Amino acid sequence: MVNPEEAGLQVLRRLKSTDPPTWLAPNPSLAQDARAASLHLFSSLQPFAPKSPFDRLLVDGFDAEQIWQQIDLQSQPLLSGLRRELRRFEKNPAEISDLFGGGEASEGKGKGRGGGVDDLGGEGMEVDGFDEFDEDGDSDGEEDGEGGAEERGVEGGESGESEEGEEERNDGGIEDKFLKIKELEEYLQKDEAREYGLEDGSKKNKEKKTVASDSDEEEEEDEEEEEGDDDDDDDDDDDDDELGEFDVDDEDDGGMGKLGSARYEDFFGGKKEKVAPRKYRSSDGLESSTDDEGEENGADGNKGNHNLSTHEKELLDLKAKIEQMEKSNLEPKTWTMQGEVTAAKRPKNSALEVDLDFEHNVRPAPVITEEVTASLEELIRNRILEGHFDDVEKPPSLPTKAPREIKELDENKSKRGLAEIYEEEYAQRTNLASAPLSFSDELKKEASLLFKKVCLKLDALSHFHFAPKPIIEDMSIQANVPALAMEEIAPLAVSDAAMLAPEEVFAGKGDIKDETELTQADRKRRRAKKKRINKAEATKRMAKKGRETALNRGEGKEE
Amino acid sequence: MEPLPSPASMDVEAPAPAEPTLPAKPLFAPLKAQEMSDGRVQFRKVSVPPHRYSPLKKSWMDIYTPVYEHMKIDIRMNLKARKVELKTRRDTPDVSNLQKCADFVQAFMLGFDVPDAVALLRLDELYVESFEIKDVKTLRGEHLSRAIGRLSGKGGKTKFAIENATKTRIVIADSKIHILGSFANIKIARDSLCSLILGSPAGKVYSKLRAVSARLAERF
Repeated sequence: MVNPEEAGLQVLRRLKSTDPPTWLAPNPSLAQDARAASLHLFSSLQPFAPKSPFDRLLVDGFDAEQIWQQIDLQSQPLLSGLRRELRRFEKNPAEISDLFGGGEASEGKGKGRGGGVDDLGGEGMEVDGFDEFDEDGDSDGEEDGEGGAEERGVEGGESGESEEGEEERNDGGIEDKFLKIKELEEYLQKDEAREYGLEDGSKKNKEKKTVASDSDEEEEEDEEEEEGDDDDDDDDDDDDDELGEFDVDDEDDGGMGKLGSARYEDFFGGKKEKVAPRKYRSSDGLESSTDDEGEENGADGNKGNHNLSTHEKELLDLKAKIEQMEKSNLEPKTWTMQGEVTAAKRPKNSALEVDLDFEHNVRPAPVITEEVTASLEELIRNRILEGHFDDVEKPPSLPTKAPREIKELDENKSKRGLAEIYEEEYAQRTNLASAPLSFSDELKKEASLLFKKVCLKLDALSHFHFAPKPIIEDMSIQANVPALAMEEIAPLAVSDAAMLAPEEVFAGKGDIKDETELTQADRKRRRAKKKRINKAEATKRMAKKGRETALNRGEGKEE
Repeated sequence: MEPLPSPASMDVEAPAPAEPTLPAKPLFAPLKAQEMSDGRVQFRKVSVPPHRYSPLKKSWMDIYTPVYEHMKIDIRMNLKARKVELKTRRDTPDVSNLQKCADFVQAFMLGFDVPDAVALLRLDELYVESFEIKDVKTLRGEHLSRAIGRLSGKGGKTKFAIENATKTRIVIADSKIHILGSFANIKIARDSLCSLILGSPAGKVYSKLRAVSARLAERF
């Protein structure tokens, strides 16, 4: 063991002594040295690392990343353990002095280790300087190695302390205001007694005591393990077993002594006392016979407890549980298990204590993080740049008809005389070509002409069955126009003789009355007349139809 | 009086024995104005109100020319009696000319401008209608003034609006209102003016006028 150690130390010293610039270029010899150093450091730390899967660092043929991972696996638990120890020492500085005091008078193993640690500790401090030259991948292992060395320094001291000082320190760093080892043991004893019976429990305690005295350290260590995962010594694989039987404190003889010196008579006497309270406990409305039964059973069970095997004990247990469950099934259920429960049926404020499960049909509110805000702002910015907003726009109303020209009222004095105005009006009336002055645009005129042609062609498709004749402007329309216009070009005076005879202008007989001039009686008369006419027409139509159908039927019959 | 022109001499042929022949249809030339009134001259006299005296003097020639040249009516101003006198001439073509000239001059006296009044000469169907504010609604004092103001509008714009929309001419003289135009147009103008007198705001009247004028324009 010493030679490899020496070799390792030599390698480390060599590494330390190389010039910093040499690390910049890849150097096979330096790499080799670095690997050897890592290997040495790893193996030195190995005894302290409890759960490391590697016994030694595998460096041949592995690259820096893999070596680093191995070292990491070993060092992580070490580091956490050390941190915990540090915190503990922060709280109780007195222990540090104990540590060093114990460390001086330690056993050989601890001392050797401590000595080695001191030596290497110094190296470790010096090796610290290599921290900065981290460019080479090969130096990664070394970095971790020196960290391990630091740990070891502390750990070595501590291991010595724990080996010696366990007698003095009854409550290690484990006990605080919540956990008292004594209370824990008392409880465990009680539980054991309940489960197995005091007699057996006392026996078992006796057994355990012997076992415990052998493995005091380890249990002590295990305590620490349970609490703080320290790993000074090697782990025992029977951690879990000891947990189960962990109700012994070899110091606490007082409690143990009572149980340990119990005799059968004491036990039975105690048992009779115990049975009575048990009887009271189990009495909750059941018949006394059942009670007696239970008592007997209990007594028997207690009596025969030590005669029954574990399996039978388990069965009894199960039976008791089943009984209990059946009893609870018969009782009315709690309000949470019933179906629809109104407020009157449940105790006050009980809904507050129960965790009710609702279906929330609401999406949970989004957690606003910086990313969310940033994304929103980005979106807003883009929208503004594009000009793409979600404004509500009115749907464009389709033009139902062409917009009429709104003739604005002229509020100024008319520049032309009345005669001229009427002259113009007359000219418009007589001269049909100048009539469509309402067309504002030449294009509109053209468009309307084209449309008329298209309509004509479309109508031709249906053989003009429905279409009226197209109105072309150049057709002569008999308008109510002064007759003289037809003959003279520009008459100065216009005669009131018109083209249409008065009957053609308006044909009506009787007293012509305007709508507003009608009296109520007139209106009634008009309405009655309308109805009479309509009725006559309707009857005529019906008669015609009847004749037609009769004719058709007649024809049908003939055929 | 001139003797009537003898009808065209008819050759009375000896009737053929056994066949009675009807006499030829007589042909009459159209009567002249003079002949219609039995050769007598017809007069019209139009009195001149004092406020129209100087405008008459200013635009005398504008009045005289169309009356004398186109209508062939004699016209003169009787300064002493302050009347305008009209007389038919021998070559007056139509009897109605005299009446038209009289109406024309009357219109001028009411207050219409000559170019507007000339329309009376040219078109038959133009009339002048006059009414008073008190025919529509009895208003006194300030109300009357306000009504007149409402009728005219600011700078006369309401009046002009009505005139332009209905193709009429309106003269507001104190509480008398005269409208010149065709029958239907007069009616529309009168309705507008009456609504203004009765108190409706100008905006309302405008909207109605707009509708009416649009309808009028659509007729062609």
